[in-house]
Amino acid sequence: MFGRPLFLVLLLILVALLVWLRQPAADSQISRTALVMGTLVEIKVYSDDRKHAELGIDVAFAEMTRLEQLFSTHIPTSEISLLSAAERSMTVSSETASLLRLGQEIARRSAGSFDMTLGALKDLWRIESENPRIPAESAIKAALIGIGPDALQIDGRQVRKRVSSLKIDLGGIAKGYAVDRAVEKLRQSGIRSAAVNAGGDIRLLGDRQEKPWRIGIQDPRQSGEIIATLNLKNHSVVTSGDYERYFEKDGVRYHHLFNPQTGQPARECQSVTVVAADVATADALATAAFVLGPQQGLVLLEQTENVEGLLVAADGQRLATRGLEGLLEWH
Amino acid sequence: MALADLWKRLTPFDRYLVLVLVLLVGASFLLPFSRRSGAEVIVDVQDRTVFTAPLDQARRFDIEGPLGMTQVEIDNGAVRMLSSPCPQKICIGLGKARRTGDLLACVPNRIVVRIEGDNEEAEYDLLSR
Repeated sequence: MFGRPLFLVLLLILVALLVWLRQPAADSQISRTALVMGTLVEIKVYSDDRKHAELGIDVAFAEMTRLEQLFSTHIPTSEISLLSAAERSMTVSSETASLLRLGQEIARRSAGSFDMTLGALKDLWRIESENPRIPAESAIKAALIGIGPDALQIDGRQVRKRVSSLKIDLGGIAKGYAVDRAVEKLRQSGIRSAAVNAGGDIRLLGDRQEKPWRIGIQDPRQSGEIIATLNLKNHSVVTSGDYERYFEKDGVRYHHLFNPQTGQPARECQSVTVVAADVATADALATAAFVLGPQQGLVLLEQTENVEGLLVAADGQRLATRGLEGLLEWH
Repeated sequence: MALADLWKRLTPFDRYLVLVLVLLVGASFLLPFSRRSGAEVIVDVQDRTVFTAPLDQARRFDIEGPLGMTQVEIDNGAVRMLSSPCPQKICIGLGKARRTGDLLACVPNRIVVRIEGDNEEAEYDLLSR
C-alpha cells in the first residue's frame, strides 16, 4: 500500500469520501398515521433517535384510543354513553368531569353557542349516517328541551342532568382534548419537536427544526386549496367548517354545526379557525364562533385571552383577530 | 506525460484497482438519481400497506376495506377517492391529493392514501380543515 504511487492512495481516500457523502442523510422526521376517534390522526416527530420517537408515538396513539373508549357516543359502554342513558345523575371519572367543566365554561362564555347537550338533536338529523334527513320542526323542538350551558350540574365527579332525556355529545371538544393528551404523552417521552393532527385539530410541540410550523388553512369552498398559512410554534389550531360533514337537499347545504337556539345548521360562516394554547379550548371556541357568526364570533375570539382566530363568513368575507398579524399569510 | 509514467509504474493489480475505483466513483454519482424515482401513492388498509404506485402514471384501482371496495384514481399527478362504500362519502369530498405529505382517508373503510417521495413540496407542514 505505502509503496504505491501517491495518486493511488489519494484516489482511495477520494472514493471513501464520496461514498460517505453519498450516504442518505438520516431522516429526522418520523411520521405515522392511525384512524382513531373517527378521524385520521397523523403524528409527526422530529428526533435523531428513531426508536425513541416511535415508542413515544405508540404511547400517544394508545392514549387517544383510551380516550375514545371514554368519550365516544358510538361506544355504548363509554362514560358519555352511560351518562346519556342515565336517568338523572352519574359519577364519572375526574377526567370526564374536568372536560365537562371546560366545555361548560366555554358554553357560558359563548352564551350557549357551544353546547355539549345536543346529542338528541344530532341523532335526529343523522348527519353522520347514510340517510341524513331534515327533521320535523316539532321533533327539533322536543330535542332541544333542557339543553344549554346549565343543562348539566357538575359537582366534583357527580354530574346531574337537568332533564333525563338529555344526551351528551362531546363532538366539539373531545377530539381536541385527546390531541392535547397525545402531545402531553410525547412530551413526557422526552420528545421536543412534534405535531399531532387529528383531522385538522392540530397541536404543535416546539418548533420544526428551529423554524415555525407552517399550518395551511383549508379553503372552505375549494378542496385541496388553502386560504391562508399560519406560522406557529407551541400552539393549537382548529378549524370548524360546513364543508366536511354535510348533505344537500333542494340546493341547501345541511351540515353538522348546529345552532342550539334553532336546532338548524348555523348559516353565517363557512369556516372558523381558532389558535389557542390547547386544542380542547380551540375546538370548542371554533364551534362557538361558527355558530355566533362572523361579527359576534370575532368579538368572542378577540375577548378571550390568549386566543386568536380567522373567520370566513357565508359570503366569503375573511376576518381575523388583530393578534394574528405577523403570523398569518393570506393566499 | 507524468500520468503516462505513473501508469507504467503500476502493477497489473494496481491498474485493475484504479479501474474499479473509477467505476465506483462513477456509480456513486448515479446513486442519488436512482433514489429520485418520483412520488409514490401508498395505500394502507388497517395500518398495513397494500398498494403502491407512481403518482405520474394514470390508473384506477380498487382497494378492499372492511366495508367493501373503495375505488381510487391516479390522474394528472394527483390521487383521489372515486367511490366508496362508506355512509357519508367524506373521503370523496376530500378531493385530490398531489403534494408530498398529503393524506386522504376513508375512516369507516379504514383506508389511508398518502403521497411520499420527491414531488411538489407542500406550502405547509400541516393542514387544518
